[in-house]
Amino acid sequence: MTLAAGRWPAAVPPAGAAPQRSGTLVVYRMELAKLSRQIRVRTIAVCAVIGPFLVVAGFHVQNATPGDTAFGQWVHTSGFAIPMVILGFAAQWIIPGLTALVAGDIFSAEDHFGTWKTVLTRSRSRSQFFTGKFLAAVSYGLALAVILIVTDLLAGLLAGTQPVVALGGQLVPAGHAATLEVLSYASEIPPLLAFTAVGIMLSVLTRSSVAGIGGVIALTFVLQVVTLIDLPGWLQVALPSTPFLAWHGFWEQPAFCTAFWWGLVTSAAWFVVCGGVSWWVFRRRTIGVAA
Amino acid sequence: MRRVRPALAAGAIAALTALTVSGCGSDGLSAPRLQDSISSTFAHLYVLQQAEQGNPQPSLRSLHSHASCQRGTPGTAQDGPGTWLCLITYYVAGPAYPVVAKYKVDVQTDGCYAADGDGPASVNGSTTITGPHYRQLVNPLSLVDGCFDYT
Repeated sequence: MTLAAGRWPAAVPPAGAAPQRSGTLVVYRMELAKLSRQIRVRTIAVCAVIGPFLVVAGFHVQNATPGDTAFGQWVHTSGFAIPMVILGFAAQWIIPGLTALVAGDIFSAEDHFGTWKTVLTRSRSRSQFFTGKFLAAVSYGLALAVILIVTDLLAGLLAGTQPVVALGGQLVPAGHAATLEVLSYASEIPPLLAFTAVGIMLSVLTRSSVAGIGGVIALTFVLQVVTLIDLPGWLQVALPSTPFLAWHGFWEQPAFCTAFWWGLVTSAAWFVVCGGVSWWVFRRRTIGVAA
Repeated sequence: MRRVRPALAAGAIAALTALTVSGCGSDGLSAPRLQDSISSTFAHLYVLQQAEQGNPQPSLRSLHSHASCQRGTPGTAQDGPGTWLCLITYYVAGPAYPVVAKYKVDVQTDGCYAADGDGPASVNGSTTITGPHYRQLVNPLSLVDGCFDYT
């Protein structure tokens, strides 16, 4: 059977039936249920929870410091430095990779298992499927961010709450440092969602999870090399990886947020464009023709 | 189809705005910005260093720190990422006695830099300093990390 775009049967609720839950919500819940049972997702969650504590333990048993990264020389002086070192290392490639592991697979998995025909003949429309899956990938990304914020902060607090030397040379007391730390991690959420949308787009376009996940990881590596080049200012700001670095400004004296605001615009643009392309392609796709 | 167009249009507008507006009014990784940032960061860290060594603390203002940074040879364009050389002048014993600290500064494209102390040895030469009771502490002036707004 072929379900040409725009001609799938519409869902007709039976007359007199109890008001149904929104179709999007049903798809969303189903996707979340599927995600929470994936070994991959569970492994990531466990790693995100224990990873920061392992890093703290690692610094604890040795004297060397990662001196070539911001906050690196202070890891033995203050527990607040450690999460910032982790952020400096991880932001540009671990975070996109982690979100892509779900986003790059969430649509193409149905292609892989050949289940589009099955799910789309149910009484849920294509837009409900798209929205539900999209929101599920976004929720996963947000959940990941929240886990990282909490565990990194706790791991840092475990290592000590001495004032930390910030990037302006000023000594930041514990309370303010904790606030800045949470803000810094929270500032990773917009670019994280932008990369989620990139993953979804690749997943929809290629119908392949390998391309969806691998494509994002390859993109992050390319961007990391590109970041080393002296690009024109506007191009630098337009790269989806630049907003990951915006948190540096929070730790300056005086603090500046311009990089963060630009990052917000950039991330929103990537999110909207990639999300829009995904929907455009997904809506018009002919599903069910033998490949 | 009807719902696709607004989404695409919104995306295109957002992308265009991001591209055009961000291209305006940027003078990027320039010497004045680096000089302002590194001299201020240095002053903060100098005060911290004196405090950690148990010396009397100078005030930030009294140091009057200022920097002069150069990238490559004088012929090189004086902006952009790469290795810069900064001379930071500050005053600990009145205006007649300037001290000059030298730094090799690695500036990255995102406006963050790592400055490696290049003398005088007593100020930024050693990675550790001796605090009260002979405790070995990190010398805040040996490696200076900072960032400035390049947008």
